[in-house]
Amino acid sequence: MIVTPSLSELNMAASLTSTANVRLLSSFAWSSLLSGPIGSRSLHVTAVCCKNRAARIRVGKGEKPLTYEQAYHPHHIAHHKGWLSQHTSNLKGEDGAAERTIEDVFIRRFMFGTFHGCLADEIVIKRRGNLLIVCALMLQKLPPQKFYFLTGYSEVLLSHFYKCPVKLEIQTLQDKHVYKYI
Amino acid sequence: MHSLCGAFGWTPAVHQQAKESVILPRKKAWSKEAVLETLASTLNRDSTAYPYQFQDDPYLSPRTATEFKLYSLAQDSGRSAARYFVNNHPKFFTKDFAEPHIPCLMPETVSLLLEEVSEEALKERITLRKVTAAVDMYDQLLQTGTAVSMETTHELLDLICLYCDRNPVQEGEAGAEEEKEGRRMTSRRGADVPRLSWTENNNAERIFYLLPERDTRCYSAVIRGMVKHGAYAKAFSVYSDMLNNRTPGDVHIFNALISAAPEVRDGYSERWDLISELLNHMKQQEIHPNLLTFNSVLKSLRQCGSLARSYSPQTLNEMKALGIAPSLASYDHILAVFYKSVSSGPSNSDVLQNLMTELEGQSFTCVDPDDVLFFSSAMKVCLDNKDLELGYRVQSLVEVGENWRLLGDSVQLSIYYGRFFNLLCMMEDVDVVLRWYKQMVPSLYYPNAQGMKHLLQALDTDGRLDLLPDIWTDMKTLGLYNRADLLEQLLGLMAGEEHSPELQEAFAVCALDVKSVFEEKAGLEWSASSLSHVTTLLLRASKAQQAWDMLKLFKAHNRIPSEALLNSFLSVCQRDGASERAVELVQLSAAFCLTSTSGLASRALAEFDLNQEQRLVLAGLEAAAGPPSD
Repeated sequence: MIVTPSLSELNMAASLTSTANVRLLSSFAWSSLLSGPIGSRSLHVTAVCCKNRAARIRVGKGEKPLTYEQAYHPHHIAHHKGWLSQHTSNLKGEDGAAERTIEDVFIRRFMFGTFHGCLADEIVIKRRGNLLIVCALMLQKLPPQKFYFLTGYSEVLLSHFYKCPVKLEIQTLQDKHVYKYI
Repeated sequence: MHSLCGAFGWTPAVHQQAKESVILPRKKAWSKEAVLETLASTLNRDSTAYPYQFQDDPYLSPRTATEFKLYSLAQDSGRSAARYFVNNHPKFFTKDFAEPHIPCLMPETVSLLLEEVSEEALKERITLRKVTAAVDMYDQLLQTGTAVSMETTHELLDLICLYCDRNPVQEGEAGAEEEKEGRRMTSRRGADVPRLSWTENNNAERIFYLLPERDTRCYSAVIRGMVKHGAYAKAFSVYSDMLNNRTPGDVHIFNALISAAPEVRDGYSERWDLISELLNHMKQQEIHPNLLTFNSVLKSLRQCGSLARSYSPQTLNEMKALGIAPSLASYDHILAVFYKSVSSGPSNSDVLQNLMTELEGQSFTCVDPDDVLFFSSAMKVCLDNKDLELGYRVQSLVEVGENWRLLGDSVQLSIYYGRFFNLLCMMEDVDVVLRWYKQMVPSLYYPNAQGMKHLLQALDTDGRLDLLPDIWTDMKTLGLYNRADLLEQLLGLMAGEEHSPELQEAFAVCALDVKSVFEEKAGLEWSASSLSHVTTLLLRASKAQQAWDMLKLFKAHNRIPSEALLNSFLSVCQRDGASERAVELVQLSAAFCLTSTSGLASRALAEFDLNQEQRLVLAGLEAAAGPPSD
């Protein structure tokens, strides 16, 4: 339970903000040093991001707009904000949490790149049974037919990639919804 | 969208209910199934929902029929772009962690693996639908002297005849050619598939004649290919060839030949003779006809003129005797035969009545490609006969089970609902029309300018002109403000009579809106009547300054205001006491060289208190205009 929040913060920090220079999951396989004689258990190490700097946008002069998601810090999850990625692999007796996280990271980067400049806020990923639902809040920068082209493309590509049905649910806004200025 | 759903139609009813007293019962007993019934009532089609394939967002939902088509095509092209990437770079998509395996999410092989000259390579090219490559491989096999099995030869012939010896159009490649053809020939056929025509001595014929022995399947492939791609006479010659060789035929050959019969004979009786000859051959060879046989007979009978009326019921009886249930396509052909022209006479509506009685409550599946044409033809018959009852019966058949799938693509859908709405507007009470309007628009039917005109007429007939401002907002949402004739009709209805002050205010707001539309959109020309309507509406709502600006527009667009308009303007000026404006008005009318100038001038002199200068001017104008010539 303690591991998951920090990983999702790393996601949030890495995907949209460029301040923290976090290279996510660079695989340092120190197998020669750390693997046992039977079966290799390699250690993957990332750059450190301290708890008091993760997913926090530093205070400025009052001109930085923040969305609600960005304004509340990770310790406010379950108090003032919800989860960005919803799946059951963190429950007792369930496995696959790491695989889900990798998938989430890929999906966030994929959406950021495909709908470039149109994302208004973080992507919410929900898993219901076999279905993967990607909920995104978009800006009305493209005409609707381009949105539909990209939606059809992303759905089919992600379905073929992850071998499960993927649905996109898109809501559009005129511009980003600002919660406060820092 | 919410304006369409909730704005009008319900508010008068709610007001009525509030006036009646509400009696609260002391105890209410619910039946045991009440909950289930309530839940079941939510299972009907939600008439306020967008079509499910679109995102649930106002910016992303289509508002007109063109947008509907554009967005669904955009989504489909995105999907095919993704499939192109998946199929051309399969190495990224081969990792399979689906338990159980999902074959449709794996990349498909699109490129050829086998390069050597062998039958396996030929089969591979056939499965991948590469027509020219398959033909080349076959020729190479023949040159090397390898025998090709009959099975493979059959499949090769099927492939060539299906695609008319050309490679099937890859998505995106032949888009340019298709567009050109589509623009030239959109009136005759849909721009989906460019109609290919059978060329002389193409590969199919060549391979066919090279075969040592030709059996039923080879003949079947060649004849059907020829009929599909327009070489009708050749198809019949190959057929006679087949008869000479005493090769048995099969049902598909006869289906194709029967549908091609009207093309090779002129004259109704000759066509029918040919069809009956073919049917006799079928009987001799003991081939059982199927549904498509009878449907082709009916379709060819459509082109046999008056003979059709006697022979089509006989065909239907034959079908029933053989135990083949007629499909909607058969009924469509029957309707076309019996309702050929509009002036057929009222007695013929019996056919459709009997048909509907028979089809009541049945659900259908699509068994013939022409099934989708049935509902729009049925609705056309109802519309021509102005039979509302029958129209409702057709609509209730559409609502049974899954029959809505048989309404066809978006074009057929809009035709059907357009005709149904037309019938409703003509024959029904305006409240019912509005109820259907709320249900159908815009989730099922995007009205075009014609449909809107019918709706405006219905509102006019029943005197519900108070709904016109809401209809105008709907027209703007639907994108129908580009039609000058539609705008003129709307303005004419609004300006027809005097109404209550609030309504006049609302009309005036609409009129200003329409004026801004005329000014913004290039290509929309003001006409004299629309200008005068707008001016009248503004005058009635006491917006004198804006009405004055309108008069200036008359000059700018070279249109002449009517006498009635100028008179009413003068009355308004008198009410407001604006004598300056009255004089300017008379001068304006003189500038237009209107005959009513003298009348206006005398009225102005009589009714207004003017100073000396103005009197002089008016007197001059009155004299200059002079008495009207006889």
